[in-house]
Amino acid sequence: MSLLRNTLIVLILLTIAWAGFLSITFILAYTLFPAIEYTDGSLTLGLLRVAVGIIVITLWIYGWYTLTKIWLRKMLSE
Amino acid sequence: MITLFMVFISTLILVLLLTQLLIKAGGRLNLTGVDIHKPNKPSIPKTGGSALVIGVVTGLIIYLLVEGFSTELVALIYSSLIAALIGLVEDIRGEINPKVKPLLLVIAGIPILALSVYTPRPVLPFIGATRLTKIYPFLILVSYPVVCNAVNSIDVLNGSISFTSIAFFTAILVVSAIHGLEYPLIVSAIMLAALAGFAIYNKYPSRVFAGNSGSLFIGSVMVSTAIIGRVEVVAIVALLPHIMNEMHVIFSMRGLRSAKQYNSRPITIENGLISANPDEKAPITLVRILSAKIKTREDSLVKSMFVLSLYSMMLAILTNILFMR
Repeated sequence: MSLLRNTLIVLILLTIAWAGFLSITFILAYTLFPAIEYTDGSLTLGLLRVAVGIIVITLWIYGWYTLTKIWLRKMLSE
Repeated sequence: MITLFMVFISTLILVLLLTQLLIKAGGRLNLTGVDIHKPNKPSIPKTGGSALVIGVVTGLIIYLLVEGFSTELVALIYSSLIAALIGLVEDIRGEINPKVKPLLLVIAGIPILALSVYTPRPVLPFIGATRLTKIYPFLILVSYPVVCNAVNSIDVLNGSISFTSIAFFTAILVVSAIHGLEYPLIVSAIMLAALAGFAIYNKYPSRVFAGNSGSLFIGSVMVSTAIIGRVEVVAIVALLPHIMNEMHVIFSMRGLRSAKQYNSRPITIENGLISANPDEKAPITLVRILSAKIKTREDSLVKSMFVLSLYSMMLAILTNILFMR
């Protein structure tokens, strides 16, 4: 066990978070956004877009946190 | 470009001189913080933030005087001064209630809104410019406390704030140079000059700390630069280690709480060597993750944090080049 290994693991976690962020925007770019981005004047669709954005970001961060927590607990209990 | 080069050099020299002066002033005024990771626990002046504030603001004012008035840069100066002032109050009077502090930091976003120097169409990867006309002003206000606290939370080891911020502003500088973005280029160049000068005194073993005035100032400049320059996504990716640290702390502590009020500390220190606290209830921080199952020196941990920030810097530049329309 060394600092180098721990640093590499955090680099992997950062890469997963980055890839997750890109994957989410990619999926939204080709699914939800074309459907609602160019619909003018609808408050419901505007709110829907904001709600989806908030939910997705929260899930992204919570997923990242859960992954880190599982790894850290496994590491510390070894 | 010549003006920017001259401002870069003057900011660097000014911060170098001011930091030396403020180290002495901090000692005399008893504005010090305990360096808890050292075996002898020395008191270190926490007045370095003022050198950063004065250096950067002077650099920006010189640029404005030479190149002409800019509402964008004036708004950035006001918002960063508000954040620095909140930090200065904390440095002098002690920690502000962790639930009140985010509300105070919201004020730092008001100059950006009042002077209308934002475009409510952030550019996202794959999607391009989106319409966020109604929600964007709200997001601006929220982003100040989030980023300022994130920078504040990363300032736990000697030099960690300097080197992680250098990586962030390098990402902004590169992207601005590629796309010819004037304001983020100016601000990031001036910030890099100031941080380079400050890092000499802040690196391990620290002779000065940034204090809350410094960390909140840096966080505020980061947010304002991202908003004014429309480089929000580059900023988010470059800040991944900061976001990771802050969000993990908030989730593991179940809300906004002062770490000092928490029973279990994230790390343990023995003879100057840092190790992760094995207690499951201890807050999850970047330093705790990096020191899991090992005993390591403080400067080695700072090097690891710098590597993580450099990696995020590279990801931010790649995201901008490959995935932004």
